[in-house]
Amino acid sequence: MNRREFLKYSGLLLMMSRFLGERAGAAAEPSVVAVAEGKDYGAITKRAVNAVGGIGRFVKAGNTVVVKPNMGWDRRPEQAATTHPAVVKAIAEECVKAGAKRVRVFDNPCNDMRRCYEDSGIQAALKGMKNVEVRYIEDERYKKVKIKGTFLKEWEIYGDALSADVIINAPIAKHHSLTQVTLALKNMMGVMGGDRGFIHRQIEDALADLNSTVKSHLVVIDATRILTAHGPTGGSLADVKVLNKVIASTDIVAADAYATGLFGLKPHDIPITVAAAKRGLGEIDLSRIKVVHV
Amino acid sequence: MRKDDMKPKPSRVSQILFLAFFLFLFVTTDYRGKDEISVAMNAFFRMDPLVAASHLLSAKTFTILLLPGLLVLFFALFLGRFFCGWICPLGTVIDLVTGWIRKSRPLLFLRGRLKYYVLFTILFAALFNMNLAGILDPMAILVRFLTFAFYPLFGFLAKSGWVGLYRVMGDARDYLEPGYGFLKTYILPFRDTFYPLALVSLLFFGGVLFLERFERRNWCRNLCPAGALLGLLGRFAPFRRMPPRLCTDCGICAERCPTAFEGDAHTKTGCILCMDCVRACTQGRARFSFRLRLRSDKAGARRFEPGRRVFVTSLLSGLFFSRMVGRRTAPQPETGLLRPPGVGSEGAFLERCVRCGECMKVCLRSALYPVSLQAGLYGLYTPMLVPRLGYCEYNCSLCGQVCPTGAIPKLPIEEKKKAVIGIAVVDKNHCLPHAKKMNCMVCEEHCPIPDKAIRFETVRERGYDGREIVLKKPYVVDAACTGCGICEYVCPLEEKAGIVVFKKTNRKV
Repeated sequence: MNRREFLKYSGLLLMMSRFLGERAGAAAEPSVVAVAEGKDYGAITKRAVNAVGGIGRFVKAGNTVVVKPNMGWDRRPEQAATTHPAVVKAIAEECVKAGAKRVRVFDNPCNDMRRCYEDSGIQAALKGMKNVEVRYIEDERYKKVKIKGTFLKEWEIYGDALSADVIINAPIAKHHSLTQVTLALKNMMGVMGGDRGFIHRQIEDALADLNSTVKSHLVVIDATRILTAHGPTGGSLADVKVLNKVIASTDIVAADAYATGLFGLKPHDIPITVAAAKRGLGEIDLSRIKVVHV
Repeated sequence: MRKDDMKPKPSRVSQILFLAFFLFLFVTTDYRGKDEISVAMNAFFRMDPLVAASHLLSAKTFTILLLPGLLVLFFALFLGRFFCGWICPLGTVIDLVTGWIRKSRPLLFLRGRLKYYVLFTILFAALFNMNLAGILDPMAILVRFLTFAFYPLFGFLAKSGWVGLYRVMGDARDYLEPGYGFLKTYILPFRDTFYPLALVSLLFFGGVLFLERFERRNWCRNLCPAGALLGLLGRFAPFRRMPPRLCTDCGICAERCPTAFEGDAHTKTGCILCMDCVRACTQGRARFSFRLRLRSDKAGARRFEPGRRVFVTSLLSGLFFSRMVGRRTAPQPETGLLRPPGVGSEGAFLERCVRCGECMKVCLRSALYPVSLQAGLYGLYTPMLVPRLGYCEYNCSLCGQVCPTGAIPKLPIEEKKKAVIGIAVVDKNHCLPHAKKMNCMVCEEHCPIPDKAIRFETVRERGYDGREIVLKKPYVVDAACTGCGICEYVCPLEEKAGIVVFKKTNRKV
């Protein structure tokens, strides 16, 4: 071994040790995915959240919380294209109980906003709750944000999401024609303004960029019923499969990775999840994820 | 202001109530969280006598929807033009503003039979299957002014103010939210829409008001086809003003009367039953009462009013307007007229559409816009879907619900979802996956048909950079596509979409 080789190997070793160190740290505290099962969707939502530390771990008194469900389509809850209102309501209730000053629930829908808010049942479910706002999107609240991404360099992000103390990402687990499934990583598209169709060109990079910029503190995936085909819009009850499950995690990639299994797919089949994992947004390897059934 | 004007008069009270009701209905003709609109502006068109008459002539069928209009016609036989003085919202608006408009002299060329030429041209054209009534219908003029010009401007100003507040106050604006929230929920338009023909609609309405410079109720007296129709029917109505002429010692009635006096004769074709003359009469002579016959009637009855010349000329002009102005016949014109969902044949649609603009007002995606002249005079103010600006919402059937005449049929929602507006066609020279070998699929994602009218084939290809790529290329399943236009609407390409909806009525080809 000459000097040059010595330097090369020792440098490499140094880098690997850092990497190993990180891994070791991660291994000490593996990503936890809680899965609750039951017919009372509100109750299982709360159980799942409690299993990852309870809402108090994220929401402190006086916080402003954004709950971002999927209410992107003009569909009724049983059609499984939008997050179940009972799930959203349970999350909102927990936030309020934890002392949240304000809980904001919104989405930037693909169909008419009024119809989506109405027909998803979410607006009605949260109506009259103290400190909970279900507001329509107002264009002036979008703010241009510089993004250090590989695909997105700058994009309009909804101000409420930027100013929130806590973001709770509450998608429904669905089939999606372009990306195979749509879960928490893709659900965050709801905070984007502008011409969102544009990002379909390179959607996995765009979503990794977005989720590095706007981070979800808690992910609650509604798999009480999932849409197995013709997503993301669906519409036919024949495509709906009732699973009675809610999945919670602080690791967005782990939550998506686990939920991918519900569709009989592997996390590595989903380019969005792979890209997010590569970006260091979370753990994709199911063997390294601790799944807690509650 | 005169003293007796301070007292509320019954006709004015009625007018104000109807106007308030009209404006209330205008605002409720919108999506307010319910799939069904129980009561809408169409109520006014359904009692519109001109709409009822022209519909009967053009569609040559009776529809129960227009029963109120027929009742108005029927009562006109006994009461005359009560509709004009007590109900018509345009008349009310005119009455409310005319006090501020200084009058010069009446325009004499408007006097006489002009209104009958207008009326009978419309009626004859209707007989020849071309319903043009809406263009000059008084309520349509008002509704179009409100829908296309006033309301969008009002909404735009309110919203600009609200957005301006955000620029100044930032999130502190939230404290004002309750007030604005109320306005937004109940009064303001949900989205900004700018309509073609906004200016024309404004000018129409402005023109009606401008006529007030010459005399009171100028439009109603000399032009309005609905008023002319009611006046004709009411010529022998037994409910009459007495005396039928001015008294020799006093002319105050004629001074106060907005519409009825020609010289010293009170005409039933003009009288709108406002009863100003009764209130003005110091002698207690002027009154309204039921009288079957008067001696002066006999002489009048022999006269063929409005005259053979009017009939013959109107017959010809009706024919002219219905057949010779800009109508194109087969082969099917490429006018791009995507009609609202459920509209079958273009011909039947033109027989029924009253061009009131209600469907465009209610369209919750602002997808419907008034046709200007791309289809000749016939198309003027009829609705067309412009997918690049808005699409037909899958679960919405509001346009059919508010259409006063059933030109857009009121369909149960499951039927409406299948109603064919047109057909989407992928432009392979433009569509990203086809033309640029880039994945996109936004159109397929949005397609609301449960088993998708836009599908895709997955192909492995070599990209233009030489690397192998997996492409999802969209195609349209003709039998499933309804032409709702959401694909064209959401296509992320700028200016021209990579998928375009065409009118296609014959699906077998």
